[in-house]
Amino acid sequence: MLSFLQVLSSGIAIGCVYGLVALSFVLVFKATETVSFMQGDLLMLGGFAGLALHLAAGWPLALAAVGAVLAVALLGAGLERVALRRAIGQPHLVAVLLTFGLGMMMRGGVASVPAAAQDMYRLPFAADTLGIGPLVLAASHVWVVLATVVLVLLLALFFRHTRAGLALRACSEDARVAALMGVPVARMHTLAWALGAGLAAVAGLLLAPITFVHLNMGLIALKAFPAAVLGGLTSLPGALAGGLFLGVVEALAGLVLPEGAKDVVPYVLLMAALLLFPQGLAAGRAGGGGR
Amino acid sequence: MSATPVAAPEGLRVLRAAFVWGLLLALAVGWLGADFAFSQATLVATYAIAGLGVVIIVGQAGQIVLGQGALVALGAYAQTLLVQAGVAPLLALPLAATVGALGGVLASLPAGRLGGLYFGMSTLAFALIVEEALVRWESLTHGAAGLMVPGFGLAGWQADTPLAQAAVSIVVLLIALALAARLLRSRLGRAWRAVREDEAAADACGIAPGAAKLRAFIVGGSLSALGGSLYAHWIGFISPEQFGLVFSFELLMLAFIGGARRLSGAVWGALVVVAIPQAIAVLRDTLPGDWARSAGLELVLFGAIIVAVVLLRPQGLASGPRSG
Repeated sequence: MLSFLQVLSSGIAIGCVYGLVALSFVLVFKATETVSFMQGDLLMLGGFAGLALHLAAGWPLALAAVGAVLAVALLGAGLERVALRRAIGQPHLVAVLLTFGLGMMMRGGVASVPAAAQDMYRLPFAADTLGIGPLVLAASHVWVVLATVVLVLLLALFFRHTRAGLALRACSEDARVAALMGVPVARMHTLAWALGAGLAAVAGLLLAPITFVHLNMGLIALKAFPAAVLGGLTSLPGALAGGLFLGVVEALAGLVLPEGAKDVVPYVLLMAALLLFPQGLAAGRAGGGGR
Repeated sequence: MSATPVAAPEGLRVLRAAFVWGLLLALAVGWLGADFAFSQATLVATYAIAGLGVVIIVGQAGQIVLGQGALVALGAYAQTLLVQAGVAPLLALPLAATVGALGGVLASLPAGRLGGLYFGMSTLAFALIVEEALVRWESLTHGAAGLMVPGFGLAGWQADTPLAQAAVSIVVLLIALALAARLLRSRLGRAWRAVREDEAAADACGIAPGAAKLRAFIVGGSLSALGGSLYAHWIGFISPEQFGLVFSFELLMLAFIGGARRLSGAVWGALVVVAIPQAIAVLRDTLPGDWARSAGLELVLFGAIIVAVVLLRPQGLASGPRSG
């Protein structure tokens, strides 16, 4: 029972990371119809930016984390301005290739820093454990869950109660009508990319104490795709729920299934879900526009 | 409108293409030396066969496929295991293509009811499952350690010179091109284009979109697997990581650069995709300093090329001959 609870808690923590990355993917996809294949690279960049600001530049950890998230968000906004907006209105594959290429450049950029390419790093926080009665939880897992809850609350407030958040939502529902109502659609796209990139960077920082910071940590974002699809591709709460669900199922599968099988579980689930419930998933998509 | 353009008579176009490619090959032989030119021609032809599968699925049937590398991998592994078990390589080729076709069926299972991005995601999931299976099924595939591939031979004759390998690849490519061109002119080819332009309208005209997509994946899967099985012979060693996500995107880029609307796009795209690593290697040698020696630079340059191609020619996939 105790080991079950421990596995469950680590599943929830990893699920939160999947959920955050899926959230960033869906946020960008909803607002700009751009399929981003570089969320994993933005995540990795967030981890390394935090590392560089803290270890190399000597900033305090909290400040370094905020700085890293802002820097990556700025990068997202800048890339939207320079390149990504050219993919709007094109077939999905254009954006897929474009973001994949940009992600490759980020990975290559980090890899050409010798110190970054060779080692795995640990951000010095949340390295200890918490004991609740007989249950021992990794502090990093608790951190992830708490941070996710706070972030989601902030995002909900942003989307419901601020002018920019409402405008972004209007833009996602129907860009043309939003433009007619005076929403600056192009600026909203930039904002969406900034938010999406920033969220990915947060996920990277939260992942840092769990998997360390290394060049391939972005691979985790591949599991955010099933999470986003399970959540319906256009639903922010759905993406988060999909991530949590996958994290928990994957962790539990690790208990039951043979070694290695747990890594395919999200993809098998995705194929099964697409086969069995195409209507349920498609319904969420059809709700978006009246085309 | 956007059907395959029939500007020149068939025979004349084939003659013209043969002339252009013959001239290119002759120039390459003169400039780069026979052995290097033929080994590059082998690679181009092999990539073109694999890319033909993407051109059919993406350019003709209009589907998003993010995991074509897995179908190539299935072909390569099937071919290797069959030849290791004693099957003649020439006989193993169609069997490997069949395995690829079966893989295509599996990857496109959700195609009957889904369109667009969801479907692309399911091909991605399929590819990741295949890759993991190749790594984990060690008794058959030797996992990440990979497999050595016997050479390609036929009744005592071994294709061990660059010239012989190039000849085999080009012959297979020509056969594949001819078959694909025949298919595009058939009822099935018209059905693919109809589904690409408007799935609902195609459905209303009595074309079953699900069946058309499934067949696109059967044809595309077997072509890519065929390319993979030749590739395995020429490289001599296969491992799961060769056919990962980056390879799938290389194939997409191939179709994108060459133009996915025409079959010849696969060959032009293959030429560019094979040339890029060489160009990067040359560029690296000319750049000063240790920085140029780092592995990261290659990634940056490759990514930059993808980005540049997409930005300079965003209509690469979408533009049909209709603008002309």
